[in-house]
Parts: sequence; structure tokens; C-alpha cells
Amino acid sequence: MPLDITLFGIQMPTLLPIFVVTAVIQILLDRVMSDAGIYNHVWHPGLFRTAVFVCLFSIPCLLIYR
Amino acid sequence: MRANKIVLSELKIFPWQRTLHEWLSIDAPVLVYMAKVIIAALLALWIAMKLNMPDPRTAIFTVFIVMQPQSGLVFAKSYYRVLGTIAGVGISLVIVGMFSQDPLWFITFFALWIGLTTAAGFKYRNFQFYGFVLAGYTLCIVALPVIETPLDVFDIAVSRFSEVIVGIMCATVVSDVIFPRRLLDSLISSEQERFYNVLTTLSDPTAVFAAFDDTNPSVSRFSNGVVGLNAVRVNSSFESGADRKERHHYQHLNHEYMNLSTTFHSLKSIISAIKDRERTELLSALERLYAPIVSALKTRPDTVLTPEDLNRVLSELLEAKKGVQREYEYERLAFEREDEFTSAAYLIIRLLNELYNHCSTYLSLLKHRLSGDASQSLRVVQFSTHTDNVLVGLAALRGSGVLLLTMLFWIWTAWPYATLTITMAVVIGLLLGTLPSPLDGVKDFFKGSVIALIVAAVYDFYLIPAYTSDLLTLGLLLAPTLAFIGWMTTKPKLPIFSFGFVFMFMSQCALDPFYKIEPIKFLESSLAALIGVIFGGLAYLLVNFWSCSLTQKRVAKILRRQIVSVCEGALNIERSALESTGRDLVQQFSTQGRLNMRSSRLVFEWLLTTLEIGRAVLAIRRSLQRLYLQYQPPGIDSVLDSIKNYFEAPTLSGRERVLMQLHTSLQTLHEAQMPLEKAQLKRMQTLIVEMALIRTVLLNSSTFPVLTEDSCR
Repeated sequence: MPLDITLFGIQMPTLLPIFVVTAVIQILLDRVMSDAGIYNHVWHPGLFRTAVFVCLFSIPCLLIYR
Repeated sequence: MRANKIVLSELKIFPWQRTLHEWLSIDAPVLVYMAKVIIAALLALWIAMKLNMPDPRTAIFTVFIVMQPQSGLVFAKSYYRVLGTIAGVGISLVIVGMFSQDPLWFITFFALWIGLTTAAGFKYRNFQFYGFVLAGYTLCIVALPVIETPLDVFDIAVSRFSEVIVGIMCATVVSDVIFPRRLLDSLISSEQERFYNVLTTLSDPTAVFAAFDDTNPSVSRFSNGVVGLNAVRVNSSFESGADRKERHHYQHLNHEYMNLSTTFHSLKSIISAIKDRERTELLSALERLYAPIVSALKTRPDTVLTPEDLNRVLSELLEAKKGVQREYEYERLAFEREDEFTSAAYLIIRLLNELYNHCSTYLSLLKHRLSGDASQSLRVVQFSTHTDNVLVGLAALRGSGVLLLTMLFWIWTAWPYATLTITMAVVIGLLLGTLPSPLDGVKDFFKGSVIALIVAAVYDFYLIPAYTSDLLTLGLLLAPTLAFIGWMTTKPKLPIFSFGFVFMFMSQCALDPFYKIEPIKFLESSLAALIGVIFGGLAYLLVNFWSCSLTQKRVAKILRRQIVSVCEGALNIERSALESTGRDLVQQFSTQGRLNMRSSRLVFEWLLTTLEIGRAVLAIRRSLQRLYLQYQPPGIDSVLDSIKNYFEAPTLSGRERVLMQLHTSLQTLHEAQMPLEKAQLKRMQTLIVEMALIRTVLLNSSTFPVLTEDSCR
């Protein structure tokens, strides 16, 4: 994948749209997980949540920068 | 011997254990919070500087704006800060793109936007307010500096947005990962305290049957916190681990508590009226009616609630329901035709029913929290709010007015730093608008800014040039001040002072990527900002014709209008909507309007009157609709009509007429033939009870809707 993409005539790093998409996925996932009660079985919900986001965000990042 | 030893060792440990416990629960959270603030702020500064952002202080400032001890609050505020920044940046691009050559249009649209955001911010609660306000003043920050070079607006917009995002990411991650304190926990504990408080108050017959006195803490505690706890619940939804079902339960508990407290206060006001007339036999009959509830609550659990305890209380309450019903049938023989007895007995029964529901919802919540399966499925209830349009209009006027005034100042002086004056005045005019006393807030803000200027000067001209060589030393140097700010924000007495301090310190401290010594710029921009604060204060001084009696009149008018709309509007209004709207309204007026103690007491009584009458009118209309035609008592429509007319244009003669009509139609209802069918009979009885209740409430309320005394003196 390219490092920069052009959206509506504005050139921006590919990371930006990836970030937005990941954030949306994360919000949906968070809702599902909290309704399923997964956070009750996790030692540190905040850390877990952050870690999930880091995983989600870094997978496409690795694909770009490989 | 051995027991002795244990006691001795316990005694030895005891003093410092207690000290340790106290330190852990009171001082340690503050220290942890300070550490979190420092880490988040320096992280934001480091990232912003590493990414070569033009203005790293926006990032660090954002951290301080959104940072709160509980992570739910941080998420909520961050969310609305992002939304507000997006809106503000977008509108700046549009306005600069369209009107940068034309001052008149530029200023007009600027003022419109500020007015619009102020009005919208006023209409919404919690941090939504902050989002709108931010959308307003971001326009100042982005559009004003580039007015000479409009082509730069895109760069400023992008950098402002990315700095805000960096600050928010740092604040949210740090507050959720390092020693998180969840808002939900505080919600749980305050809900527990409130529930316990309900049980204690209701188990004490003197709390119910004693005269109104403000010294009895359990009685005065029994009304507050409805609006506040709702806000906590809304904000906690951003936290991890708060599943929807649990929040749903809290919402329900809040509503039931609201209904319970309304019933309780209505009952108390009727009883105190009976007391004033010294009708002891009626009073003792009511006390006998209440006795089963007292004995049922005798076995209430003390502090820690388990589902088993609550189950026992529930079954006792079920017994009490039967007991009250028996007593009612018995006492009714003596007081059949007495409106006061009918309405008070009805309220006692309603209180018991609501208490039962409240307990069973609480039980369901407990079960859900312990084992994950709730015993109840709940209806969705909404917390509706109401904002007075006059207040909104006033705020919009103030926002736009202060902008126009400072714009004139800018044009007139042609001072390049006057843009800062405009920004500061708009920020003050928007942000402090919802405080109880904005003028005092502006004073605090001013004090905070002046002290911040001194501190910033020491940093700019002595500490930073003398001791910093790289980011690490800058961070070390900044840490004490950041910790101090963090400490200030935990103090409930200093919020505006610390806000002023943060605002000024962050805008004046030399946190640029490249350090420059510019004393003239420092002095001029500080002066401009301070003038801006003064302009903002001036706006609050000028647009503040909101006196006590005017507030009372507005509240009375809105409450009256509510009853009128209930009399003629749609039938599908829920009681919860009626109640939450009224409470939210009164809460807002008591912070916005200038009410003294006596007047706020009066306003609360008016609210109760409105809620009872509104609910009763709805119940009457519903029963009428479902009653068969042959049982329809004549003249009830005309009673409703005259109630409506009375509340539309209250006069003393109208009051007499309504009371008279209520009395005669109650007479005819008592003499009418009762239907045999059970459901129909129940509707007839509802009619009687509700009419009696309206009559009693109207008789008791001497100040509403006809305002007879001036309590504002």
C-alpha cells in the first residue's frame, strides 16, 4: 500500500484514514465486549481496551511500512 | 492469654493502620492524579514537539482541559472536545474562505455563529454544552490570526486539530491505563447510599408525619441528586465495562427515586395541612394506615445489601401492601367523603407501591451485578429536559454582544494583539455562562490569570533560558507547575481560578519548538488577554437583568403552561417525562436565576403542585376515555376545562370556581351508581381519588398559580 493517499484532492498519510476506521471498529467492538461482560473477567479493563486498539491499529500499519 | 496478645497487637497496629487507611483513601488518589496529569501533559508535549507541530501548547492545554480524576469524565469531555473542534475548524474554513475580504459579512457571520453555539450549548446538558462552546471559540482561535493572510487558514486548522487530538489521546490513555478510577464505582456507591437513605427515611414515621422542617436531614436529602446522578450515569457510558443493561437499571432507579420523592413530598404537604387544621383523629387514622410500612421496614438490612436481605424486605413489603389495604377498607368507613383522607390514603398506597417497585429494581440490579442475570426486564425510560427559551436567547445575546463589542475595540484601536482580546472575551462569555454566579467566576478567572502571568514570566525569562537544554530538562522544569495545577483542579473551591491559571499559563509560557526571548510580545499579549477577561466580565454585568421575582414569574409561567398542555395535549405523555422535565427546569432556574432560600423552597412546592395536578389530570383523562358511556359522570369535562382556564389565566375567582366545581362533581360521583364490572369500578374510583387529590392540592397551595406573597424581599 502507498504511504500517502489523496482524498477529495487533499494529500494525506494513509495512516489517518486507517486511524479513523480503526477507531470506529474499536468503538463497535468495545460495545459488544462490554455487553457480553468480557470486561468483568479482565484484570485491567482500560489496559485491555488500549491493547486491543494498539493491535487493531498496528496490523494495517505493519502492512504499509513493511 | 492468647486473646490478650491479639488484642494487644491489634492495639499496636491500630493507630497507624487507620492513618494509613485514611491516607490511602483521601490523599493517595490526589497524588496519583497529580502524577497522571504530569505524565499525560509531558507525553503530549513530547509527542507534539517530536512531530514538529507548530503550537505544542495546544496539546498540553488540551490535556489539562479534559483531565479529570475519573476516567468516564475524561472520555466524555474528550469526545465532545473532538466534535467541537471538528465543527469549529470546519466553520472557520468556510467563513474565511467566503468572507475574508469583506469585514461586514465576516463579522456578521462570526457573531451569528457565536450566538448559535451559545444558544445550542445552553440547551444541552453535561459536556455537550462544552462541545458547542468549543465549536464557537475555535472559530476565534483559527480564523482571527489569519485574517491578513487568509491562505494560511488551512495550515492553522490542520495543526490545531492534530494538536487537540494528540492531547486527547494522551489524556484518555493515561487516565484509563494508569490507576484508573471509574465513574461507575462512584455511581454504585452513591446509588447504594441513596437507596439506604430511602429505606431509613420511610421506616421512620416521624419523618413522614412531622411538620416540615429543614433541620431533619433525611427529609431534605430526599429530593436532591436526581439531575446530578443522571449526569453521572450519562458520562459513565464512555467507560469500559459498563454494559448497557446495568446503565439501564440505573436509569430506572433514578426514575423510581424521582417518583418516590414526589409522592413523599406530596404526602408530607397534605399531612402538614391536616396538622395545621388540628384534625387529630384524621391524622391518627393515617398513622394507622402507615404503620404496616414501618413494621415491614423494621427488618431492613443495615449497610451491606445482599439479594437475600432484599428478598426478605420485598416479601415484607408485599405483606404490608395487604395490611395497608385492610386498614384502608376499615378506616374508609369513617372518612369516606373526606377529600383529604382519600388523597392522603391514596398517596400512602402509591408510596408503598413505588417503594416496592424501587426495591425490586434494586434487587434486579444486585443480581445482575453479582451473577449477570437480571430478574427484571426494563422498559426504556427517557430523562427529558427543558430549557427556557428566554434564558437561551439571553445567553445568545450575551455571546454575540461581547463578540461585536470586542470586534469594535479591535477595529477602533487597530491593535494587532486585539484578536487575543476577542478570543478571551468570547471564551469567558461562553464558558462561564452556566455557572451559578458568573461574575464571581470572572473575578476568580482574572485572579488566576494574573498569577499565571507572573509564573509564566519567571519561566519565560529566567528558568527556561537558564536551565533547559533539551526536552527532558524542559519536562523536569515544568513538572512542579503541572503538579500544582493538577492539585488545584482537585480542589472543589478553585475550579475557575485554576482554569484561569491553566489558560493563561499555557498561552504565555514559551513552549514553542524553538525558544525566543520576546518581552514585548509577552507584555502586549498578556495585556490583550486581560482586557479580554474584563470585556467578558462586562458582558455578564450588563446582560444580567435576571432578578429573583422575574425568575419566579418565569418558573410559574412555564409550570402553568405544562398543566395547560397536559389538559388538552396528547394523552401519551409519561409521568416520567413530566417529572424529569420539571426537575431539570427547576434545577436550571435555581442555578441560573437569583433565588433566595425562601423562594427556592416555594419553587419546589410549585413543582410538586404541578407534578401532582398534571399526573392526576392525565389519569382522569385516561380513565374517562376507557369508561363505558353509561357510567360517564356528567360535568368532568367542564371541570378539566375550568382547571385549564384557571392555569392559563390565574385569578382568585377562577380558583373559587374550580374548587366549587370539583366539590360538586365529587358529590355527584359519590352518589353515582357504581359499576359492577371490576375494571370499570376501578376507573370510577380513580376518578374520585384523583379529583379529590387535585382539590386537596389546590386548597393547600396558597402561592401557586396565583402569586400572593413576595418572597424576594
